[in-house]
Amino acid sequence: MPAAENIATLPMLRCIRCGRVDTPTRSVCSGCLSDELEPVSVCGAGTLASWTTIRRAPTRFRDEAPYDVVVVDLDSGQRVTGRLAPDSPEPAIGQRVSAVKAAGADAVFMGQRS
Amino acid sequence: MRDVLIAGIGSTVFGRHAGTPIEQLGVKAAAQALLDSGIERERIGALYLGNFISGPLNGKEVLAGIVADQLGLPNIPCTKVEGACASGGIAFRHAWLAVASGQCDAALVVGVETMTHARTAETTAALNCAMDNESDGPSGLTFPGLFGLAWRIHAQRYGTTRSQVSAVVRKNKSNGLRNPLAQMGADLSDEQIASSAAICDPLQLYDCCPTSDGAAAVVLVAGALRGEVRGVPVEVLASVQTRGAARIAGHPDLCSFDATVAAAQRAYAMAGVSAADVDVVELHDCFSIAEIVDSEDLGLVPRGEGAIWAAEGRTAVDGEIAINPSGGLLAKGHPVGATGVGQLYEIVRQLRGDHPNQVANARIGMTHNLGGTGVACTVSLLRRGD
Repeated sequence: MPAAENIATLPMLRCIRCGRVDTPTRSVCSGCLSDELEPVSVCGAGTLASWTTIRRAPTRFRDEAPYDVVVVDLDSGQRVTGRLAPDSPEPAIGQRVSAVKAAGADAVFMGQRS
Repeated sequence: MRDVLIAGIGSTVFGRHAGTPIEQLGVKAAAQALLDSGIERERIGALYLGNFISGPLNGKEVLAGIVADQLGLPNIPCTKVEGACASGGIAFRHAWLAVASGQCDAALVVGVETMTHARTAETTAALNCAMDNESDGPSGLTFPGLFGLAWRIHAQRYGTTRSQVSAVVRKNKSNGLRNPLAQMGADLSDEQIASSAAICDPLQLYDCCPTSDGAAAVVLVAGALRGEVRGVPVEVLASVQTRGAARIAGHPDLCSFDATVAAAQRAYAMAGVSAADVDVVELHDCFSIAEIVDSEDLGLVPRGEGAIWAAEGRTAVDGEIAINPSGGLLAKGHPVGATGVGQLYEIVRQLRGDHPNQVANARIGMTHNLGGTGVACTVSLLRRGD
């Protein structure tokens, strides 16, 4: 794995009331419904849950196809969707991955070479 | 809750209906169902219409009222319901609730969609409204992609092969050949399936259902009106609707839909039957791998064995549990809002004993309709009522 300082962080929201850290596309805490949420960052290291290669893409992504979409279980406990970097090694379920870029809900991951 | 019967059914062919306005397609199916039922239209106390994207693709809304107007129905509540691919199943459940609760003695359910007139980009954009576009949209994931994720896990966990998944495609396409309502039945070889265009790995073209136009309708009545039903009445033993994860990453297991599991468990409990009692099922095979996952989620086959059962012919019309004798979404087609009602049409014909792919001695049937990324699900259990 790359050194921790080279792994991109992913934006999340932390509930000020109950402390739950969850994915950022929400207006209230999924645990206690409080709307007092603060932005935090979590380490983008995790494990590959599954992946697929999109060859017929929606119009706005047509120029980028084919591309790999991944679902990653972060070590910090959240499950997120993202992309696999084009130069990533052949993916496999359970492979260690780490974020190389993150903007909003759009994260790009790189798999660890075995 | 009162006993509820399905008194009448109607359906158009699923496929291309170029030039027919969407409301007229719905009216055709509804008129058939009313005439089939023997129930006078003045008795209909509510209309529920399932539709997903008549707004973006046809520029038309208030479809329920427009359909009721053309049918000459009384001044009854007419409601369009939307739950993506489960819109039709949800419309049926609401009509069942209206009759079962005593709000009315008869209700009409219509499911309708027209899609084939639109450009692919328009259709894709409209269909993509069925996912949580804030969290899942930015990755560029698509609906076939969601099922690509599920397939990878099924293959890794249970050793499922391309050839086993192809058995689902071959079965449903073959069933579709003998169903006059089906859009694209075919006699396919493993080779033809495996060499079809790659869509979202591992899904290929024949793993995906087509886009379709079509409509189906059902008339429901209270059990007390049994004597007025023209044909063989079919009892609604259970009709259940559930919610599942709205975000793809929200699914605890990407190879199972929690909405389906919960709906099936509640439906079996409500009906007082078990999965082993089900003779025939129409389930939501929007993709080949979906039939495998659904059959396991519904408890019809053991977990992990959905592909094996298909490959061994145990889900064929003459198998242990007949799955999608209509051809399913893969072959019959998927006019999104009509699909769930079309499944009920197919099961009623099976229970009446007059289906073109008749399952011998079918007495209990099931329908399963799944919407979005598994966010909405309906499961119904029906029994021959004589």
